[in-house]
Amino acid sequence: MKVVIVYTWARDGANAAVRADGTVDWRGAKMTAGEDDPAALAVAKRLAEDTGGTVVGLTIGDGDASWVLARGVGEAFSVTDVPPYADNAATARVIAAAVERIGAVDVVVMGDSKQDPGVAPAVAGHLGWTALAGLDSASAVDGRVAAVRRSATEQQTISAAPPLVLGVAAEADVDTKPGMKELLAARKRPLTTWPMGDLVDPGDDVRSTGTRKPDVVAATLFDGDPATSAAQLVAALRADGVL
Amino acid sequence: MPPGLALGRHRVVGGAARDGRVEMSQEVDFDVIVVGGGVAGAVCAYRLAEAGHEVVLIERGAEPGSKNLSGGVFYCRVMEQVFPGFVDEAPVERRVTRNVLSFLNASSHVNIDYWDARLAEPVNAVTVLRARLDAWLASRCEAAGVMVMPGVRVDELIVEGEQCVGVRAGDDELRAHVVVEADGVNSFLAQNAGIRAKEPPKHLAVGVKSVIGLPRTVIEDRFHVIGSDGVAYAFVGDCTQAVAGGGFLYTNLESVSVGVVLRLDDLATKGLTASDVHDHFLAHPAVAPLIDGGELLEYGCHLTIEDGPTMVAHDLTRPGLVLIGDAAGFTLNTGLTIRGMDLAAGSAIAAADAIGAALAAGDYSQQAMDAYPAALAATFVGADMKTYARAPAFLEVPRMYRDYGLLLADVFHGIYDLDLTPRRHLLGTATRAFKGSGLKLRHVVRDGWAAVRAL
Repeated sequence: MKVVIVYTWARDGANAAVRADGTVDWRGAKMTAGEDDPAALAVAKRLAEDTGGTVVGLTIGDGDASWVLARGVGEAFSVTDVPPYADNAATARVIAAAVERIGAVDVVVMGDSKQDPGVAPAVAGHLGWTALAGLDSASAVDGRVAAVRRSATEQQTISAAPPLVLGVAAEADVDTKPGMKELLAARKRPLTTWPMGDLVDPGDDVRSTGTRKPDVVAATLFDGDPATSAAQLVAALRADGVL
Repeated sequence: MPPGLALGRHRVVGGAARDGRVEMSQEVDFDVIVVGGGVAGAVCAYRLAEAGHEVVLIERGAEPGSKNLSGGVFYCRVMEQVFPGFVDEAPVERRVTRNVLSFLNASSHVNIDYWDARLAEPVNAVTVLRARLDAWLASRCEAAGVMVMPGVRVDELIVEGEQCVGVRAGDDELRAHVVVEADGVNSFLAQNAGIRAKEPPKHLAVGVKSVIGLPRTVIEDRFHVIGSDGVAYAFVGDCTQAVAGGGFLYTNLESVSVGVVLRLDDLATKGLTASDVHDHFLAHPAVAPLIDGGELLEYGCHLTIEDGPTMVAHDLTRPGLVLIGDAAGFTLNTGLTIRGMDLAAGSAIAAADAIGAALAAGDYSQQAMDAYPAALAATFVGADMKTYARAPAFLEVPRMYRDYGLLLADVFHGIYDLDLTPRRHLLGTATRAFKGSGLKLRHVVRDGWAAVRAL
């Protein structure tokens, strides 16, 4: 299988500040490897290992393109001038166009970001492929992908034939920082860059027409011995007409 | 591939061991390893790469600038030697043309307000936000062929015999002919290598800073600056609640950096906490209106050097090793100006020149490295460290932080408070204020003489 790991394609929400008027200030934050990226990389490597295939990296924007090269991937591609779109479909359009340019790809693996949940399914939509999201892990069995998804009550294994887009959600921070030798080796690995204009016109980004902080909902805490607290709660609910 | 990445081409000259056999030659990964991606490290790495040497710049933070606390006033003329057109090309905030020295009391202040158009022609000082400046410096380094390696914490130097031959981070080693330590005031490398002892609290200060966002037009109106001009305030007195140190405030493009620097030993003696002193200063009636309505963008604290001249008295070199910037102690607090970045750049230039000569000669001995402090002594860095050697002692005078500000305010109060009592001549007013201050004439004479000699 030829597997593409898509990485460092969004800004880190931790770098955003919410202003008093509800607007979000990113203060020049760059694209960074998301918390799901290491888990997605592990899945991509596993699929390639299982099938004797290859993994190549794909990133967009102004982040560190060598992130994946320092983590054992031999080649990467970067669409350099992609702005951080608010519209997940626009981000996905660029990623899908790059995947098509890489060519002969069987599986695209990317972090299933909570912040940008629409990107992985939209990439599949643009490519016309099947999307499997919220995955925990995946392996290759007889030319198909066995993807594992967990919920609170069950574990689901889905078997699907490529081409596929897989969204992987990390259960924990599993990134291992590369050492100096790996960083040196990364700089010697091939990185192909494309300007976005060579690949696709992503169209207009969505525009925000206004923001505000959510209304503050008052909460009352009944603290004390359980019997008294329960009585106070019931009295308050009656007073509010709930009971 | 950038020119800095052709690895393992150079070899250390094999030396004869005591038993006569020739030691194994050891490959090096780079000509020079620079540890620390601040002003000192970046300038040194850039100069060496420009001269055709293979350099790696190792930075602990996720990217250069990310470990720095916001910024400062950069007396930036020296940067023209490295980056011609620096002020126009680098991401600087404002050009400082107005300097205010403020003697601050609880309910009064006396300011010396100095504006001069000459300070803009040529530009003498700029305010900078380090996250932006350091990222720019790193990009210039990369363009020159330096391999910038962020996100790596160097654990220790590799020393063989007396020769520093590289650095170790985790299980990895990198080897080079020369290692440059530019890893800041806390330089654990220098401490571990036995070059620097743990500094006593008296040599160090803690800085607490807030960056307050304000619209550009508000900054221009409030601080009487236009365009890209800016102002830098130095406060002494009630800003630190009589702790040795001072307050500062300077304008960025769309924010104001404001805070206090407190000498560690005196802070502990006075039993105050740095954050409380900072909050007290920002709430002071002389400061609060300047930041009113602003939005807190950043808040943090950082250790800084209080007695640079004493710190730089220790060694700056070992065979195969040089110390530059804050790691070497190059910071000057004269009471009027606080300088670090210009001295960092100056020391980096001198070090790069000496290392360049050492690489050309293939000689990385103590003698070769000592060309750096020798060259430094002939520059403004060496001269200024010597000139201001007495400044830290002068700034220890406790009267600086309370009595003189009150005396000044009393003199001016005597002049401007026309309370229907007969007026005195200025000398009489001043004498009366002095007598009421409780200050002793011998102290004032001694402090004045010390000031003349120290500043």
